[in-house]
Amino acid sequence: MAEEKKKRAITRLESSALVRPLVNKMYMEGALAGMEERPVAWSMVNWWEGDIIMRAMGVTPVYPENFGTVCAALGIAQKYMGVSAAEGFPTHLCGYAQNTIGYTTEMKREGKVPEGAPMGGMAQPTFMLCSEGYCDARFKWFQSLRQFWNVPVWTLPFPHPVYTDPSLQDVHKVNVEYMAVELQGFIAFLENLLKKKLDRDKLEAMLNNQEKVFKVWWEINELRKAKPCPMHARDFWTMMVPCFYTAYDPETLAVYQQVYNEVKARVDNGIGAIPDEKYRLVFAELPPWHSLGFFDKLAERGWNFAAESASYHPPPPMELNGGGDLPYRIARWTYWSYINTGYRAAKMGYPAVGAAQPYYNWAVEYKIDGILTHPLVTCRTATFWHTHSMNVLRDKLDIPGMSIQGDIVDLTVFDAATALNQAPAFEESMDHFRKVRKSKGLDW
Amino acid sequence: MSSKGLAKAKDIYANRAGRVRELKAEGKKIMGYVCAYPPLEMVTAMDYAPIRVIGSMDEPITKADTQVPSIICPMLRSMLDLGMKGKADFVEDFIGAHTCDCAEKFCHLYQHNMQFPYYHFLDVPHIAHKASFGFMKAGFQLFQKTLEAHTGKKLDPDRLKQEVKKHNAQRALVRELYGLRRQDPPLLSGSENLQIMLALLSIPIEEGSGMLKDIIAEVKARKDGPKKKAARLLLWGSPLTETSIIDMIESLNANVVMDDICTGTRHFWPDVEMTSDPLDGLAKRYLDDLKCPRTFRETTSSFEEDQEVRFGYIKDYAKEWNVNGVILQSMKYCDTHGYEVPAIKAYFDRLGIPSLYLEHEYTMVALAPLKTRVEAFIEMIS
Amino acid sequence: MYFAGIDIGSTMTKIVIMDDEINSQVIGPTGAEHRHLANKVMEEALSKAGIAFDELTYVVATGYGRINVPFADKQITEITCHAKGVSSIFPSARTVIDIGGQDAKGIKIAGGKVVDFVMNDKCAAGTGRFLEVIADALGLKLEEMGELSLQSKEKVRISNTCTIFAEQEIVSKIADGVPIEDILAGLHEAIASRVFHMAEKMKIEKDVAMTGGVAKNVGMVKALEDLLGFPVLIAREPLLTGAIGAAILGKELVIKALEKGEAIEKGARLLEAASFFK
Repeated sequence: MAEEKKKRAITRLESSALVRPLVNKMYMEGALAGMEERPVAWSMVNWWEGDIIMRAMGVTPVYPENFGTVCAALGIAQKYMGVSAAEGFPTHLCGYAQNTIGYTTEMKREGKVPEGAPMGGMAQPTFMLCSEGYCDARFKWFQSLRQFWNVPVWTLPFPHPVYTDPSLQDVHKVNVEYMAVELQGFIAFLENLLKKKLDRDKLEAMLNNQEKVFKVWWEINELRKAKPCPMHARDFWTMMVPCFYTAYDPETLAVYQQVYNEVKARVDNGIGAIPDEKYRLVFAELPPWHSLGFFDKLAERGWNFAAESASYHPPPPMELNGGGDLPYRIARWTYWSYINTGYRAAKMGYPAVGAAQPYYNWAVEYKIDGILTHPLVTCRTATFWHTHSMNVLRDKLDIPGMSIQGDIVDLTVFDAATALNQAPAFEESMDHFRKVRKSKGLDW
Repeated sequence: MSSKGLAKAKDIYANRAGRVRELKAEGKKIMGYVCAYPPLEMVTAMDYAPIRVIGSMDEPITKADTQVPSIICPMLRSMLDLGMKGKADFVEDFIGAHTCDCAEKFCHLYQHNMQFPYYHFLDVPHIAHKASFGFMKAGFQLFQKTLEAHTGKKLDPDRLKQEVKKHNAQRALVRELYGLRRQDPPLLSGSENLQIMLALLSIPIEEGSGMLKDIIAEVKARKDGPKKKAARLLLWGSPLTETSIIDMIESLNANVVMDDICTGTRHFWPDVEMTSDPLDGLAKRYLDDLKCPRTFRETTSSFEEDQEVRFGYIKDYAKEWNVNGVILQSMKYCDTHGYEVPAIKAYFDRLGIPSLYLEHEYTMVALAPLKTRVEAFIEMIS
Repeated sequence: MYFAGIDIGSTMTKIVIMDDEINSQVIGPTGAEHRHLANKVMEEALSKAGIAFDELTYVVATGYGRINVPFADKQITEITCHAKGVSSIFPSARTVIDIGGQDAKGIKIAGGKVVDFVMNDKCAAGTGRFLEVIADALGLKLEEMGELSLQSKEKVRISNTCTIFAEQEIVSKIADGVPIEDILAGLHEAIASRVFHMAEKMKIEKDVAMTGGVAKNVGMVKALEDLLGFPVLIAREPLLTGAIGAAILGKELVIKALEKGEAIEKGARLLEAASFFK
């Protein structure tokens, strides 16, 4: 008997499988550091502002935010969120935070990593590193954890300027200097806590490696401009993890170089991530980690996702002339990650469209047919600008948008069936607007 | 406007847009602003009347849905909605501030929709480290620069110092007014107090101070104040822009005698310290002395001490106003206050002060379920 | 002296008349016009007790419709009344879990008094309503759902927590041939789980008493006991604890007033069907 092996809708990059060991290594290092009672820090995506300094000082960061995506994917998050609700936390708070609070409650109750925690769980922290970056949860959440962990907390600053174009240089200067001064404070905090000095040579070597990783990762994503798009959003979401958490590591660079080679080969041979690319889309902002198979269903319909999750994309390479001043160099890069799309728009003569800028820039450069937005019940930050972004793309570029409500962690609020029902209508919309754009002289 | 004292506050509360339009007709320049963070002393020193932009719990949201998803702060959605409907047309120029996530984004979206000729955004840090004060001050300096460029006038530091005195004078009057609720029964109700605070946010500072003086005299002399009731409650949490929730509480066996909300004590309580460069005093007052959970308070040697740092001032309120219960309220989707709830509840439990948490949807309707909870709470503490 | 407690819930109206013990009790469905119904139920209870309305020393109304009872002397919330009612039946009870047709409550008791409480009156999925919706959808009688669920060999998980989506999920599972008792077991667990997590906010303490109409559902009792890890106390008539508590509270108020030599403040006492609009 022959059973036809169902052709996978999305041809995942083979080299994306190389990412798995990097992530496993990261979790194992955390568990090991905990067991051996070496310093462990609970941290998060802070756009490269602080963790590399901790690593250079021998601290092992552990990432509850990433742990949240893992728990969501395995369906375990619901249980932890229930525990968090029983502790009195409202259920609209960040899903990752609820997951962490629930996990931590259980960990304190059991006196060890709780039964059933995936990836070996998260070791008890020696201290916690918060960030002001992008969302308030990044410091409110760890502040709440003080109920469980009586350990020091440091918060990294993160200016949110409204002026992101090159014209207000004095604003940018003040912002970066503030961040750099605070990073010196962070170093002093660590040196005092760990009773050792920062090895600046080690840090510099890590920064150099990190910058190479950013460059390759940037170039990989630039290659996705090709038609058909060689790499799907699902691969992006897998591969963004090492870039955030282990970019200091030469192994990460080696993996990304392999990814680059594979993507380049696909481009050279006209191979797309899906067999029949009918539509090229962007996705805003964070996916339903618990239901990523949803994208395979869309791929079966010919939907390829060429870009996504703007706030998680690497910024373009930049000359980081800070000289020997490592805090200044770090601050400058983090700040650049926030403002770079405004610079790009100014350089290319695109209209300034505020928070919709990344999606506007991509729509033009990746030749996008539609935007799919996913409002998240537990993340206002990653949801607020959806309507505006859809309006901008429609009004300025004649690109239609579709919205499917859900959440990053809470799988009960995501209704895939209803979302898929809307697909045919949206395809008609994308077809129609393609004609409109052509009639206006745009080339996609 | 011809009414005075409590009647004036009521009239302004009932029709704040009407009063602001009167002011405009008199030639006043109106500077709209959000939250409690913009330095109003600098605004008045440049001859603007600062009018806080607020939402309405009474107006169903319709137009805002074309600009922003529904699962964000309902008050900010309302503010956008009112703006789009032309109900905030008295605002000429606008100051935004990075207070919480949604407010930060709201400010830019509001400007995008309203297209004010002058829009300045204050990037307020969430932490109050030493360098953060310098950063806050630099933000004020930038604000000064853009406002000077827009008005063609220079900000006079001596004038600014005078404004600091004027604003502090109003704050002292507000504290005096609140003091009239220390006794039992309080001399004015929580609803009346909220109306007065909202009225203050809708008129120039001197006019507000004049109104306060009249009210204090009126209230001290009145015979028709609230009755003595079993519960003396402190109300904590999200901003309230209508009295509906307090009305509901005070319709039961309770008086709301004190608050910790930003359309109440948070906006008015701390003075600005007079410093040789007035911007230093302003930076300290607005970043550090202003109490709002959007600011991260440095952690200490224990969680209990953290709570003391974060909430100790409320304990003082509870003591001085002889409070026997606390109502913790926040709007649905308010993450800033949502994260606080377990910690602040545990704090009051430790102090032996009963508390009740209510999550509401920032509307006038559907208060019946909340009422049952409040009623049961009052039964519990009586 | 006779005391009456009337508990007007969204689905059922309950009345208890007592002196030192319960003289009569009546349970009837609440109509849309609960004021209209309340006096009829009262008349029935009075007749069963063999006393006239004026012989009632004090009447306390509780429940959803308590403000619309023109013959009550006082209104007290169902939270306080359930706590009192349960304490009188089970003095060892420290936690009450009440699951009704439209809402669910958790109440912590110490010395017969409420010390903490939680409520769910927003989401149907943690109340008896969820059972009704599914009973309707599957053409089953509400009363047989519990027994049927106990026959399950392999409980099925209902992943949707919203009643509307869950209904669709259940119907499609039936179509897929999943045994109905397994689905019902999953349904009962889903409801119990929501109520349990809500109650956990108060830190559940033994003994736990279960009240409300849903306490008569053996499947729900088992589901809740499985989550608690120990058995719950259930009164012979779990619907009446609110009305019993209301009557007792009335009695306590009167006795306290008499001891202090104070006058008893009574209401207008109009034993009539009041018009709906005042």
